[in-house]
Formats: sequence, C-alpha cells, structure tokens
Amino acid sequence: MHVMEAEATTTPALTEASNVLHRLAGAVKAQVIGRDDVIDLTVIALMADGHVLLEDFPGSGKTTLAKALGEAIVDDQSQTASDHAVPIAAFRRIQFTPDLLPSDVTGSPVFDTNSNNFHFRHGPIFAHVVLADEINRTSPKVQSAMLEAMGEKQVTVDNITYALDPLFFVIATQNPLDLVGTYPLPTPQLDRFLFKITMSHIDRDAELAVLNTWQQRRNPGAERTRVGRNEIIQARRSIDQHVYIADAIKATLVDISRALRADERVLQGNSTRSLVLILPALQVLAALRGRNYVNADDLDMLLPHVLAHRVELAPGVADFSRVLRDCMREPLEQLARGTLKANHPSDS
Amino acid sequence: MIETSPKNSGPTPATQPRAPQSVIRASILAIACWVLSTPLTTVAGSAAAFSGCLLACLWLDRLGAQARLLRLRSPLIVLSVVIVFALGAAVADWFTGTPLIARTVGAMVSYQLGQILFWLLLAGAIGLTLRLLARRHSWGSIPELLFVASAFVITLAAHQRGMIDRPYFIGDFALIRGIDPSSILMAIGVMAVLALAVLLMMENNHKRLPYHFSVLAVLCFSLLAYVQFFGMPTPSLTDDLGLTGQAAAGGGSQSDNPFRDGENDASDREAPVAIVLFRDDYEPDSGAYYFRESAYSQFNGTLLWTAEDDSLDQDLVSEFPSTPIEVTDQIPAQDKRRSVTTTIGLLTPHRSPFGLDAPIRFERAPNPNSLRFRQTYTVESLVPEFDFSDLIGRQAGSPDWTVAQWTEYLEMPDDPRYGEFGRELIANLRPEFADDPYAKALAVKDWLDTNGIYSLANEHAYATDPAASFLFGDMTGYCIHFAYAATYLYRSLGLPARVGVGYSVPSANRAGGSALLIQAVHGHAWPEIYLEGLGWVIVDPTPSQTLVDMSTDPQDSLQQMLADMLRDDAAFEAFLQDQGGDSRWSLENIARTLMFMVIALLLAAYIIRAYRAQVPAWASTQQQYRLHYRAALDALASFGIVRRHGESREAFARRSMTTLPAFSRLTEQHLQAAPDYGLAPAGVWQAGGSPDAADRQAWQQLRRQLQHELVMSQPRWRRVVAMVHPAPWLASR
Repeated sequence: MHVMEAEATTTPALTEASNVLHRLAGAVKAQVIGRDDVIDLTVIALMADGHVLLEDFPGSGKTTLAKALGEAIVDDQSQTASDHAVPIAAFRRIQFTPDLLPSDVTGSPVFDTNSNNFHFRHGPIFAHVVLADEINRTSPKVQSAMLEAMGEKQVTVDNITYALDPLFFVIATQNPLDLVGTYPLPTPQLDRFLFKITMSHIDRDAELAVLNTWQQRRNPGAERTRVGRNEIIQARRSIDQHVYIADAIKATLVDISRALRADERVLQGNSTRSLVLILPALQVLAALRGRNYVNADDLDMLLPHVLAHRVELAPGVADFSRVLRDCMREPLEQLARGTLKANHPSDS
Repeated sequence: MIETSPKNSGPTPATQPRAPQSVIRASILAIACWVLSTPLTTVAGSAAAFSGCLLACLWLDRLGAQARLLRLRSPLIVLSVVIVFALGAAVADWFTGTPLIARTVGAMVSYQLGQILFWLLLAGAIGLTLRLLARRHSWGSIPELLFVASAFVITLAAHQRGMIDRPYFIGDFALIRGIDPSSILMAIGVMAVLALAVLLMMENNHKRLPYHFSVLAVLCFSLLAYVQFFGMPTPSLTDDLGLTGQAAAGGGSQSDNPFRDGENDASDREAPVAIVLFRDDYEPDSGAYYFRESAYSQFNGTLLWTAEDDSLDQDLVSEFPSTPIEVTDQIPAQDKRRSVTTTIGLLTPHRSPFGLDAPIRFERAPNPNSLRFRQTYTVESLVPEFDFSDLIGRQAGSPDWTVAQWTEYLEMPDDPRYGEFGRELIANLRPEFADDPYAKALAVKDWLDTNGIYSLANEHAYATDPAASFLFGDMTGYCIHFAYAATYLYRSLGLPARVGVGYSVPSANRAGGSALLIQAVHGHAWPEIYLEGLGWVIVDPTPSQTLVDMSTDPQDSLQQMLADMLRDDAAFEAFLQDQGGDSRWSLENIARTLMFMVIALLLAAYIIRAYRAQVPAWASTQQQYRLHYRAALDALASFGIVRRHGESREAFARRSMTTLPAFSRLTEQHLQAAPDYGLAPAGVWQAGGSPDAADRQAWQQLRRQLQHELVMSQPRWRRVVAMVHPAPWLASR
C-alpha cells in the first residue's frame, strides 16, 4: 500500500459520495464559467442541507448558476414518493418585489368549483432549487415566510402544514450597492443562510470564455451530466457517517468563536447554531477534497463564508477577514501542536 | 542613535513619564552626580548631590503637562543653573564664613552644612535641567547620556596609562579586601554601559529591551574575550621625553636624533615602564639606582651614537635572553663590587634588556602574567661599592685596550671650545689632583651642577652640535644635553667617556621594600668615564637649578601590586585569597565557566538533535507518524524553514510544496495518522481504512526523499549552516 494514495483510506461509500459531489459540481461548472469557487461552495451548501446568500451585481451569472444546479438534479423519486401528487420542479425562480405577498411564494388555497372544495395550489417554493432573487427588496412578512420555509423545510398555509422536499435548497441574492427601497435582512434572519458568498467579477479569460461559449451552452439538446435526487440524499448520509470530525477540530471551532466574541472589534459574535451548521459543511468539503477527515484547511476555507454575515462588527471596523484571521491564529496553533503530542488517550 | 520618542515629538510640554521609568532614570542621573561630586566634596556633600539630583528628577517627572515650569524657555533654564550654582557657592561660603554659625555649631558642622547645601542645589539644578530638556526636545536625552557617560569616563580616566591601582578609592578599596581592582573596574564599565543602555531604551520601544540587552551582553562578553586573548592595552613606551633614545620598538633608526625640542610632554610621565624585584638588598651610595640599557660611545661625525664596532662596549647586551647570556667583558675590581640579582618585568616594549650597573649575566625568567609583562628576565649585576679612595688616583682607560679603542673613546666634535673650556674648568684643581682623571671629571660635573639649568623647553636639537649649543649657549637643557656636554668635556680632557642610557631611579622610591617601580619619568642619560681597574664609573651631573618639576609621588601601592604580580601570579592569587577575597569570582573564572556552559549547552543541543533525528528507528509502530514527522520538521528548521505561528500544518506544507513535495506527503501522512485529527478512533467511528498506511520503510523513504529535495533546493551555504546548526529543534513546531 503506497503512502501517496489518499483514497486508500476512504471507504467505498465515501468514494461514491465524493463521486456524486464531483459530478454535480462538474455539471454546474460546464454551464457557469469562472465561478468554480462559488459553485463548490454552493454544492457544499446543498449537500450540507444549508442555503446560500449570494451578494453580487446583476448579470453576473446567479440565475445561470441556480438554474444549472436545478437542472443537474434529476427527480428519481417516482417510485418512493406517492403521497405527493404534485411533481416537484427541479428549479424555480422567485423575483422578490415590494408588492409580493407570502402566498405568492408559498402557494394558496384555491376554491375548486368542481369539487366544491379548497384545493392547495403549490407555490414556486416547491422545488429542489429555488432562486430567491433580490430577497431584500420584498417586505419583511414575505421574507419571514421564505425564511420559515428555509428553516423548517415546510410551509404553513391556513394552519395546514405542507412539507417541502428534503432536498429543498435556496439560493438567495441581494445587490450589495443598490439599497434604495430595500428591507435589509436582519442578522437573525441572515443566520439561516449557511454561506454568504460575496462574488467578485470573474477574470478576463473566464469572461472571454463566457462570450465564446454562450451559444453552445444554450443548446438545449446537448447531453448533460445529471445527478439523481436519491443519489444526493444517499451521499449526504454516507458523508455524515464516514467523514470524521476530530474532537480537536470541534474544540478549535469553539475556541475560534469564543475568541471572536471576546474580541473588542466584534459587537456580537456568532451563534452556536452556526457552529452546528458548519459541521456537515466541513464534512462535505473534506469529502469533496477526497479526505475522510476534516482538517484545518477546511476550517480555513469555510469559516469566512459561514461567519462573515453572522458577526456584527464594532463601528469603524470594516475588515472582518482580518479580525477572523487574528482570532483563528491561536486556536489553529493549538490544533497544529496537538498532532505532535505523545501519549494521546486514543493511542492505545 | 537616539530615536525621537512620541513624548518628545513636539516642542510643547508633553505627557508625564511613567513611574518605574522615572525612578530608574532619576537613579542613574543621581549616581552620575554622586560619582562626579565624590572627588570634590565630603561624603555628606556627595550624598547631598545624589539626593538633590534624585529629588529634582522625580519632582519634575511628577509635574503635570500643564505645569508652569515646563513652559519656561530653554535658555532661561540653562541660565537658572548658572544662577543656582552661584547662589549655592555663596550660601556655602556664607555658612563657613559666618563666625556666628561656626561658633554655635562648630567649624566642621558649618563646613559640612555649606557643602550639603551647595551640592544639593547644584545637583538639583543639573537634574532638573537635564530632565526638562529631555521632556521638551527630541535631542534632550543626548545631554543626559553625555552627563552619565562623562561621569564614568572622568572617574575611570585615572586608570589609563598603566596606573592599574587607580583611581585610588577603587584601588584601595579592592586591595584592602583582596580583590583584583581590574574586576571592579570592569564591572563598573559594564554597569556604565548598561546604565546608558537603559537610558537610551527608555526612549524606545520596550518590546525590544531584551534584544538590546542581549546585544549589549554580547558586546561586553567580546570585550572580555578580547582582553583574554590579546591582553590589556598597555602603554607604549613613552619616548617623548627623549630620555631613553633608542628604546621604542622599531622607532630609533641610526639617524635618529636623541635630542628633542619642545616635544617633551610631561603629561604621562608617571606611566609605569618596568618593575624591578631585588633578590639582594642594595642601597647605592649615589642615591639613585642606575639601570643601563645602552650607551652612546662612537662618534659618527656629528654626535655620539651606539657603537657599531663590536670591540667597543662589550659590557652591553642588546638581545633579550632566551638562553642565559654572560657578559663577555670582564668586569674589573670584583673585590670592590657586590653581586646583586634582580628580576625585571617590562611593562612596555624595549629593544634591549637593562640591568643595574654593571650587569654580568642575563637569564630569562618565567613570565607569570603575559598580559601584564612584555618581558621578564633576571639580571645578575656586580654593583660598585667604591670609596672615594678607590676612585681617586686611578689611571683613565684600560691598558688592555687597542689603539683603535682608545681613539674611539676619545673622539669628539672638532670644536676647540671643548678643550679650552675643559682646561679652564680644571685649572683650579689642587696641584696634587691636577692630573687625576676622577678629580678632573668631578670638576666638570661640579661646574655643570652649579651652572646648568634643567629644562624641558629648549632649542638645541637642530644645531650642528646640540651639546655645544647647550654648553656654550643658554645652558638650559635636560639630561641628554648634560650627558653629551659632560662626555665631550671628559673626552677633551683625555678621559675615555661615553653616554650611558637607561633609567635612574631615586633610591628612596624603594621605600625599604624589595621592589622598585620604574616610570617613564625615570628615563635618563648620563656620562660615565672608564677608570683603570674599576671599569665604567658614572659621573652624573645633577643641575641644582631646574625650571620643571620632575618629581612624582611615590607609587607605593602600584609598586607593590606589580611586584606581587611579577613574583608569581599564583602567589598573587594566593595573596588575594589570604586577604579573604573570593577569587572564584574573578573575571577569568567567570569567563571560563561561561565558556564551559556554552560548550555544554552546544553539546546537549547536538545530542538532542541527533536523538530526535534517529529515534524513529527504535520507536514503536504507533509512534512512527509522530516521530518521523518531528524529525522532518527538525530537518526543515535547520534550513530555516519553519511554520509560522498560527499557520496550520497543511498551509505550511503547501508553502513549500513546489520545492519540497515530499514534505507535503509527509504532512498528509502524519495528519492522517494523528489521533484526534485524521485518525478516527476504531470501533466508535465507522470510517474504515488502515490506521497507519505508511509502514516504517515508507516513512524512511519519504524522509530520505525530503533530505534529497532539501539538498537540491537549498544553496550551498544554507546546507553548511544546516549541518552545523546545533538546535533546529528549538524552532521546529
């Protein structure tokens, strides 16, 4: 057995899960060019059962991304789901406007004159991937309906609760600059998003590639890689079971957030929920990188995206990444030193 | 050198200095005040100076930024010091001068009170000014530093030029307690450096303090090492007086003029030149010990110079003895001479050995302290104990001499005035002595004694014949003029004569002890004549009129100390120990201990390095992941590649990924096998996989590969450094 083969230590189930991840990410990457990091994060969020908030300018490929992701997922649940008469769409987009009503999102009961009965018409939220465009433009009541759906994976209309699909995944966007007439999301609501991803303009080569390939990418007949919905659910389970998060990693997470809360540049630190949410994301990232354990690199990559929108900085402090780096230094040092320590309890 | 500290950044009075700093600074300035005042006043006075400065500094530092005093103009402050000085002097004067006070409290107390007041005021004003300037201006700390430095320099200045027992208050203090004064002086020097450093660094960033101190310590230590290896700087021979002519090493070529004008600087005349130990008791009748180093006996056309003819001056020895040297010349009148053995330690370089008149045997003596003594040798001399009756009635010269020798010893400038004047001088001799050589010589000496004027400021050197310029001119000159003039006069009277060069030390300087200190001031030249059956006899004119004070204080303690060193360094140490001193703390011992400690530390470091590199070979399989990785980290650290604080192992490995791919694999392998990191506890976790994928051989191979990559990627000098680096494990994390 050679040392260099990292896969040597991973189980077949994990290899399969990692395979699903790569296929999914690959399918999206074929459609969206120059956004590999965002795609990876989005796929991680999808796998880790979280949602993402994209902060970007109009026309930067958010919809394309969400649509590609939705289209990459095939609904192969026909044999299992029988209680749902309504087929779940792969992808829905909701454009949030100030006059939008909660029922426009969730759906509403409609009187069916044939049956003399109220019949629930499913809203656009009943989909695998939902793009909530410009979520900060709509009124708080719509926002809260949306967020309840995201948090609980269910919608309640007229005291009747309708469950959403387990795969339900929201990509919300907001424009970072154009703030006139918006209802900015308060921090507790932002807490429901696993990642807030601030996108920047793609580089020159990627932009050129977008222009060169837009025609063939629009071709609907093209053969595309697809991933089954059940495959994703299965991959989630095996990643959760087979990717190891050491106690030291968890301790490091806790230490970092304690350091953040204690830092005088931070008004309000991150919630405990954020730490709970990040664990599956870390596992997914480790699996994506072909590892069966979470390491410091994973922390390094995910923490900025997970914590940036959850931490309120003191007035005058602008650079969160710097604060975070300062707070991470000592816990990471302890983590690194720990690996060289002898007489570890689990040695025997 | 001095950085502008924030508090000194503006011309306006700035923030208060902090308390501990203020106390340290005040103490340093106060100590400087005390040191400066010690030689000038009584103990109470210097105590007053200390406290005055201390209080003034502390008071000023406690003043708020808005205090009115801080807004005074700087010239006004300087002026106020002058006023305070005058005021203090007046008050002190008033205290001692007023009869009423003196009568009520006593003269002593009133004097003390005056001193205390004066020094309190003066030191207070000085302290206040220095601190005020330092608080207002960025350059203000420079006067502070200069003040402190000058205090130490002035105190220790007396120590220079070989006066190793000075300053007296330190030397005496140390010698009474049996401590080598040089240790104390060294300690004071180090303290001064540290004090200055503290002052400097108070203007600076405190986090750098340890760094600065370690640099200073290294500097001090290297000074110590310099002294250990190259010795103390000893004064070069003071040739300035022109007395010893040829003694300076390499200085005197044949064309050198022994006469000097106006260059005679008497400032360092006290510098010790040699120490003489008497093995036999001897007190010369003439009142001075004559040590002959050389002689001028051959006339080279303009003046007398060292004989190039081997047949002349066979009693002189020009080389230092490596094997015992016997003087070839047979010293006559051995029944009228006594053997005296002396041991001589030269503190400054000399060209030839010298000994008491007349040396017969030179032998090298063991040098007990090569840092102190340039040369040590033992001389056996046959010292003359002639009565007047022995000297009178002799014939001049030796019957054994050849005609050539006679000619050489009588040759002189072609100047008829010598002969005429000489005959004039002996004209008054009583008829029975009219033909007696010694009587003639005495007549000449007597006339020179009476009429010559001793002076160091004279202008004869550039005359064709300086001796004639002196003798027939203003009659002012120093020993070399007298010696040449007398020699020419003797020769003109038909007496074989020469100029002896060396040292002449008053016999009182011996002070009854067995040691005699020769100082620069004792350098001398004298005329001597040859009497049949007696050998060379010194007939030295001593002018009764002198324009310069060439007397020096007897250096009894220095004389004794150097003698103790020369007798035997071990004996000196023993002496110190007998005195109750603890010589275990001598500098040499401290240096040796430090060196041993450094060597031991280095050795231990190398052992640890080797152990950490080799231990994976013997360790258990479970420990391989840890020990091999640690050894790899050590190897990287020896090349200066270390993980930064807070950097994860993965990031560190990635940093050197391009040049050291093996290290990336080692890191991955290590982390994967580390429990509580990559290795899930068996049973609890379902993640399978073999816990240690890499067996011993794989680990070793990876490490070999890493070593190879290091060698390939690093420059040669780095590899050399890595090889000799004693403790890379200190940096590896």
